[in-house]
Amino acid sequence: MVGWEVPIGAAIAFAGGAIGTGWAQSRIGAAGAGAIAERPETAGTIIILEAIPETLVILGFVVAAMILLMVE
Amino acid sequence: MDYGYINARMRGMKSRLLSHRELDDLIQKPDLESLIADLENSPYRDEVIEARGHLLGILCIEYALRENFTRTFRKIQNFAKQEEAEQYIIIFLHRWDVQNIKTILRGKNIHVTSDEILSCLVPAGEMDEATLKELLKQPDLRAVIDLLATWRIRYAQPLTGAYPEYLKTKDLAVLECALDRYYYTDALDSVRAPGYNNGLIRDFLRLEIDVVNLKTVLRMVRDRVDAEDAKRYLIGGGRQFDERKLGELLTLPSIEDVVKALSSTPYRFLADIPEPALRTQKISIIEKELERFLIKKGVGAFLLDPLSVASVIGYFWAKYNEITNIRIISRCKTADVSPDLLKEELVYV
Repeated sequence: MVGWEVPIGAAIAFAGGAIGTGWAQSRIGAAGAGAIAERPETAGTIIILEAIPETLVILGFVVAAMILLMVE
Repeated sequence: MDYGYINARMRGMKSRLLSHRELDDLIQKPDLESLIADLENSPYRDEVIEARGHLLGILCIEYALRENFTRTFRKIQNFAKQEEAEQYIIIFLHRWDVQNIKTILRGKNIHVTSDEILSCLVPAGEMDEATLKELLKQPDLRAVIDLLATWRIRYAQPLTGAYPEYLKTKDLAVLECALDRYYYTDALDSVRAPGYNNGLIRDFLRLEIDVVNLKTVLRMVRDRVDAEDAKRYLIGGGRQFDERKLGELLTLPSIEDVVKALSSTPYRFLADIPEPALRTQKISIIEKELERFLIKKGVGAFLLDPLSVASVIGYFWAKYNEITNIRIISRCKTADVSPDLLKEELVYV
């Protein structure tokens, strides 16, 4: 029997990743917009840099999924 | 407050400034025409093409540099609107208002034609070209000050206050000093609130005050002005020198002694100036070194916290230095100065 703490734990893991990603992307996005405004040729690099924090939310998702699937 | 955006733009703009090598290439140009042609392939392209339509030679370069300078700072002001960084931009731009007013006053004082004065103005401040042209139409100093007062431009206040003394002494330095003092006092007042950014701006302003005061002290010592009289031309609020220390410097008999007395301060680099140059009492060499020091300190702000107003301060100084360097190169090209001598005159950062 799985208690209420398991989905809550999974939610916290996912939310932490999502919030971290959001914060990081906002900062990178702002700086990236500034860089692209001055040097449009950097757009490709900036898009890659902007995507890097996505790994955080993916990690959060994986941890959440593991909690839900593996804790019985 | 997002300094990430401002910092990225400032650094992007800095990357487009002319490098050491590009400046050296400009120095090697044989004449003004090839210099202009080279500038057409630089970030000054638009302004040079615009200037070429109606101006020739040095006037074309001066116009292009002025326009570029003005546009650059308007651009920064637009994207930093309502940010704390705007405070520094406004302070920096006001400097050009003060500079322009001083140029007009100097021109009117020695009866130079309006066109000639106009070519020396940089309408990068709050006073645009139309305002400056209207000021130039005035017949004399009194009329210029009156018009400033009518328009309620802030600089009318110190000028009106110092005008009676100017009438007595006929020394323009009285008006110029009143303007400088008002500018720095006003600028320091605007960043009096605590905070990292305000502290940074305050620090730079105080450093500038020190340099301005040192230049004044050197001139006063050279001209053997009475120390008590000379104190009236000093500006309060410096970082390194308070009124007492400056007073002590003013009592020294020669420029060499002033330089020696500075050996325990951050200005000890002045001691590296060869003694024969000091003995000639020509302070232009010392002033150049002080200017170099100020520019290097200003550009050095790029190394401070990137998420602060530091990158704006750094860029302003770097751009100012670039424009000054190109002006020196173009002036030296008209005077046929050798490339080696020219290199010594430039400030590389």
